[in-house]
Amino acid sequence: MTDGVMQGAELEREVEQLHAASYGWALACCRRDRDDAEEVLQNVYVKILEGKARFDGRSSLKTWLFAVIRRTAAAHVRRRIVRELLLAKWGRQELEPVMPNPHRSAETSQTSATLLDALQRLARRQREVLELVFYHDLTIEEAAVALNVSIGSARVHYQRGKKQLLAQLDGKLAP
Amino acid sequence: MNDDRLHAAFRELRRDETAHVPPFNRLWRVPVRSRPLTRLAFALVLIVIAAVSMVPILRRHRAPQTSITEWRAPTDFLLKTPGQELLSSVPDLKGSTQ
Repeated sequence: MTDGVMQGAELEREVEQLHAASYGWALACCRRDRDDAEEVLQNVYVKILEGKARFDGRSSLKTWLFAVIRRTAAAHVRRRIVRELLLAKWGRQELEPVMPNPHRSAETSQTSATLLDALQRLARRQREVLELVFYHDLTIEEAAVALNVSIGSARVHYQRGKKQLLAQLDGKLAP
Repeated sequence: MNDDRLHAAFRELRRDETAHVPPFNRLWRVPVRSRPLTRLAFALVLIVIAAVSMVPILRRHRAPQTSITEWRAPTDFLLKTPGQELLSSVPDLKGSTQ
């Protein structure tokens, strides 16, 4: 993990190393929709390349990058909801329900599908903290920075979320 | 069910989901698109072209200009009253005495 301000080729190299993890986090922020995740991740990279998102070294690159991905995904989802509402109003089309769909990303094992189902039943913050800690190996403190919440709040979300997740998965996962 | 089992489940999910990550080089580039400034400049050029092309048309429809010395007011006819020629000419007194 590299701290400090990075630019150009060094930044590109570091971001490339985090690419797979970034894509996984983008998937989580886009309800597991691969197309949306790819679009969001490209928008994030464009923001970095154009200097609209600047890494100032106050946190780790991964934490900063995840925070940018989360904000970009939130804006992307908001735009899509507005667009769908307008289309439904003007085009008299049926509004597609904006529901999380863990099975939109194909090729997941039974264990992964069960875990995703259980995750979708959690509150958003709880789900995000757990994914950052268990999926992306961030500490609770780093997760708090990525989610822009206080450490105390992140701890509470983590404890409550994990308790609920364990209860939901109890006996459902193959040994 | 404990933390280790949870970690293992999340590892499996990560393995499944990151098996088909799009190539980094495909996403790490600025897409070719028209920027706001480019669009603004394009709009300005269009406006200038439209304005320039309107000039001959406007000139063609303009009424011909007349000199101020030749200009007559449209209400001039009101000044023409009956018997006006008596006021604008001097009577010939010599002819009337003969």
